[in-house]
Amino acid sequence: MHEEILSVGVDIGTSTTQLVFSRLIIENQATSFTVPRINIVEKIVEYRSEIYYTPLKSPTEIDAEKVKQLVLGEYKKANRSPSEMSTGAVIITGETARKENANEVLSALSDLAGDFVVATAGPDLESVLAARGAGADGYSKERRGVVANLDVGGGTTNIGVYDNGRLIGTSCLDIGGRLIKTENGRITYIFPKIEDLARESGINIKVGDRSERETVSAICKIMADQLAQALALKPRDGRHKGLYTNEGKPLPEDIGIKALTFSGGVADCVYTENSGDWFRYDDVGVILGDEIRRNEAFHKAELLKAAETIRATVVGAGTHTTEISGSTIVYDRSKLPIKNIPILKISQEEEASVSTIISSIKAQLPLYMSEGKPEQVAIAFSGEGRTSFKDIQVLADAVIQGAQEVIDGPFPLLLVIETDIAKALGHSIQVKLQNKKEVICIDGIATIGGDYIDVGEPIGAGSVLPVVVKTLIFNS
Amino acid sequence: MEKNLKAIIEQVLREMNITPGSGADLAASAVASAIEQANTSVVEDGFIPDVTEVDIKTQYLVEDAENKEAYAELKSYAPCRLAIGKAGARHKTDPSLQFRAAHSAAQDAVFNDVDQDFVDNMGFFTIQTQCENKDVYLTRPDLGRKLSDEAVDVIKEKCKKNPTVQIYVSDGLSSAAVAANVSDLLPGILQGLQSYKIDVGTPFFVKYGRVGAMDQISEITGADVTCVLIGERPGLITAESMSAYIAYKATVGMPEARRTVVSNIHRSGSVPVEAGAHIAEIIKTMLEKKASGTDLKL
Repeated sequence: MHEEILSVGVDIGTSTTQLVFSRLIIENQATSFTVPRINIVEKIVEYRSEIYYTPLKSPTEIDAEKVKQLVLGEYKKANRSPSEMSTGAVIITGETARKENANEVLSALSDLAGDFVVATAGPDLESVLAARGAGADGYSKERRGVVANLDVGGGTTNIGVYDNGRLIGTSCLDIGGRLIKTENGRITYIFPKIEDLARESGINIKVGDRSERETVSAICKIMADQLAQALALKPRDGRHKGLYTNEGKPLPEDIGIKALTFSGGVADCVYTENSGDWFRYDDVGVILGDEIRRNEAFHKAELLKAAETIRATVVGAGTHTTEISGSTIVYDRSKLPIKNIPILKISQEEEASVSTIISSIKAQLPLYMSEGKPEQVAIAFSGEGRTSFKDIQVLADAVIQGAQEVIDGPFPLLLVIETDIAKALGHSIQVKLQNKKEVICIDGIATIGGDYIDVGEPIGAGSVLPVVVKTLIFNS
Repeated sequence: MEKNLKAIIEQVLREMNITPGSGADLAASAVASAIEQANTSVVEDGFIPDVTEVDIKTQYLVEDAENKEAYAELKSYAPCRLAIGKAGARHKTDPSLQFRAAHSAAQDAVFNDVDQDFVDNMGFFTIQTQCENKDVYLTRPDLGRKLSDEAVDVIKEKCKKNPTVQIYVSDGLSSAAVAANVSDLLPGILQGLQSYKIDVGTPFFVKYGRVGAMDQISEITGADVTCVLIGERPGLITAESMSAYIAYKATVGMPEARRTVVSNIHRSGSVPVEAGAHIAEIIKTMLEKKASGTDLKL
């Protein structure tokens, strides 16, 4: 078996908007004499769009129509159509996510970008996608150490930290190249938090001032220093805590970062020495990059070359969001695809006994109702150790008892399991419910409470489903 | 001369900061305590560690490894006898005991019979091929593919006629595989078929059976699909591996290529209950496409 699916990634960031098309190669890695083991074996970015400035109507509103035209134009250039896309992600990142009409833009785009495309935003997910696009996950595995990627964009810096290929932390700070903007030699905008930071540090800078390199360097030096503090490469000062986006949490101080990659628009100015007009992008990105490069605290960690710099997030969105669940699963074709389904997680402790499985589902279900009416929810657990036929029957009974409300309701019973038991469990539930309820039971997917999940239409001759898990609260 | 020598020794001992006589005393007391230890044997309530309990995927025995972590990670993917170190030119004691234990388990799986209580508890009746005993079974594969006359009669008498699916269990080359997997694998298949609303015949157990016996059973029962769950020839990784051979309208003398197989069913391979669910779906597809083996694209 060899199949290719197309994936689209769109990133609408604070300063730039980009798009990539990728091919995901799916193969059965088992022999034909055993139960199939179907995986994504290769990810190829086949088209990279131009890098556009994100079109804005006003400082607080994205120009949805222009974004749409821009995406459509790129589809045309690449000779692709939305209907060809099996999966992908549209993400609004950085400061743009705080714009008033972010959600409106996302929903407009998600229809345009294919049938099954994620529409989401969130600093933690962005950190993960950028780190994977930059290749920090791969480096950490290769070197068996802790590698952090800093995606220094226009409005925020997203940090994703990997240890031996495993995500161990994300963090997001309000530090970026376009938090101070310039035009014709004057400063035209300063983000309030940066204005405070400057004042508290005794740097006199305000809108309308001439954009002097010395003054800007002084504040960028402090911004760079705060990034080093965020990585725990030097002790954190009193001002540090206030710089996290949405009052997010810092990384643990003992995280032990050994190497770094940089991505985002500012990254190229970190990797290479700069000359020429320091304000050539009408912002302070070039100077910020330069100050990061010079900052001695960063020299404590090894600087590695990122696989992608300015395109890291969009490449991450286009290639690293999709997982595959199969090939021993149960699903109801007519109920797919489904998007943005909240995960109701049964914890490891609650999984230990049947009664706690039931009570956990029952107790949590009301949280996922809106105005007393049921909504689609995905019930998730690990299933570890429950692999005998008897265990499966017991588990099926417990799920049925706990989720009676879902079974009586209008939405399919959706189960997301880590251990490879989905098909047996799905069959068991179907038999016990006399095939009267639509059941979608998938496995090989790890989730945590608070995640959202999308399940796409079947691929690989119907044997597997593309799945996207959106982790939005990793660090809060 | 002697006096001279004594003086030299005394001088050396003095330089070594040892007073004369104490060295000899030390040696004598060491010998005494060794003898005392040897004479008082101690009975402990313990066990010598069971070599078969060792998880070969996590055992790493190379001394002074260049990159232990990387090698250990490679090992975690498969239970191979790698990175087991060496003592001179030979294996270490632990891996060589493990190897012999695995070899014994493989031999036991082949030479032992399936426990009759297990077969009875599963609710199976037992029939036999034309092999009279294990020796005949192992030396005459052809007889393992043919049912005894009595067996044919029992099937005719006890089995549902013309079922959609006929499933049965056979010892094949591993009795251990039957004991380890059937109680999860078979219900897994049956429940899957039930969820697809597919009718199943009467299951039973065939002693001294080879895969080919399914063709004759297919002809006798008149099933559309016949499926045998049979013990695989054991290896040194596991003696409990089971295969399912499945064929659409199998007939005696048909090409082997008409069989579909799902192999490597055991607790550290394809988990039995999930493999069962998968086999149920294969059977469903087989009935839809009216084909099996290489004729059936899964």
